[in-house]
Amino acid sequence: MQFDPNDSELGRRLDQLAGQASSASVSPELQKKLQDALGPSLVPVNPIPSRTNLSLLFLVVFVIGAGGLAALMKRTGLHLMSRVQIGAMASILAACGTVLAAELAGEMIPGGRRMAPLWAKWAVCGISGFLGLAVLFPWQSSGNFVAEGWPCALMEVTFALPAAGFFWLLARQGALLMSPAVGATLAGVAVVLALIPLQSQCMFQQAPHLLVWHGTAALLLIGLGAAAGNLRRVRE
Amino acid sequence: MGDRQIDDLELRTLMTQYQSADPAALNELVRRVSPSLLRYFRASRFGRNDAEDLLQDSWMKIHRSRHSYRSSEPVMPWIYAIARHTRLDAYRKQRRMAEREVLVAAVPEPPQQRSSRTATDDFGEMVSQLPESQREVLVMLKVSEMSLEEIARATASTAGAVKQKARRAYAALRRAWNRDSRNAIRP
Repeated sequence: MQFDPNDSELGRRLDQLAGQASSASVSPELQKKLQDALGPSLVPVNPIPSRTNLSLLFLVVFVIGAGGLAALMKRTGLHLMSRVQIGAMASILAACGTVLAAELAGEMIPGGRRMAPLWAKWAVCGISGFLGLAVLFPWQSSGNFVAEGWPCALMEVTFALPAAGFFWLLARQGALLMSPAVGATLAGVAVVLALIPLQSQCMFQQAPHLLVWHGTAALLLIGLGAAAGNLRRVRE
Repeated sequence: MGDRQIDDLELRTLMTQYQSADPAALNELVRRVSPSLLRYFRASRFGRNDAEDLLQDSWMKIHRSRHSYRSSEPVMPWIYAIARHTRLDAYRKQRRMAEREVLVAAVPEPPQQRSSRTATDDFGEMVSQLPESQREVLVMLKVSEMSLEEIARATASTAGAVKQKARRAYAALRRAWNRDSRNAIRP
């Protein structure tokens, strides 16, 4: 493939070298060794469901998890929020949950097509979440910021960790090629799931509280997920 | 229908048969795909022995993950995504080992014998000056003869991003090429 018409000389040289490199061959002994190593464990396998079906599975778990937890808890936060705040936050969290669930489903099937790079998806989720909280909620703080805040962060961790574990159990049915990005995506879906019931029950619907306690815990959990992904890759 | 498309259709059929535990399909896949994977590892700055080890590791991973292949998708990006993961793991392992190594004595390196070098070494050397992400794209493009779309799938990226990396790689090689030419002319 030629990218610059002025680079024909360079292109020819690369093609020539690559063409010569292409003649590197696998010895019959190595081929036999590979066939002998794989042959004995050859049993029929069922192909994994499609990416769409896997995404839907994650979304069903996501909706049941978030909806179930929200139904079990007091809905103080919902009563304190305006319709605009509820609508905007529900849309942002649902969209981020859908995007990350689809990404996680894609990670289960290597070599799939990507419409947008992962960093762009993370950026959209992060920026929309931050702007939603910063613009729609009042910048004030009531009472004791720390004493009111840490139980929320703790609750988020309590919800997110088992959710991440469950998503991990589902995701490992595929061929997860573990990396920090996969770990972060897995944690991301669980965090978004946890944020929905947390926001609906939280009685401190103020931007500083939401950004610091809900947001920081989310970032820490996603960072933990990335670290776990990296550790898993090293151990593999 | 082009040769590549026919080849891909055949590979898809072989993969489906491999999933159904057909030993002949496995042998044929190993025969067809291994040379391409070995070239990929060799062009990624691994020696012959390391490249063969990586080939074996890749096949073990492919074998364990074979259920994750879907017949509606092209085969080579699926295989290369796994091979790429194996290669990146090997890089990291090499780096960790290098960090742990203690330099006991500075032993002068023996001069490299030109006769033992191969074309793959030359290609690897030529692209070795590029950043890892650009080098990877160029190796897949030139040595593995994959399309931009296939590389994008294998590297979990987009075709646009792959094209940009290839352009940058070309520009960097052109600069290096010009520099080398000037140095060669200078008395």
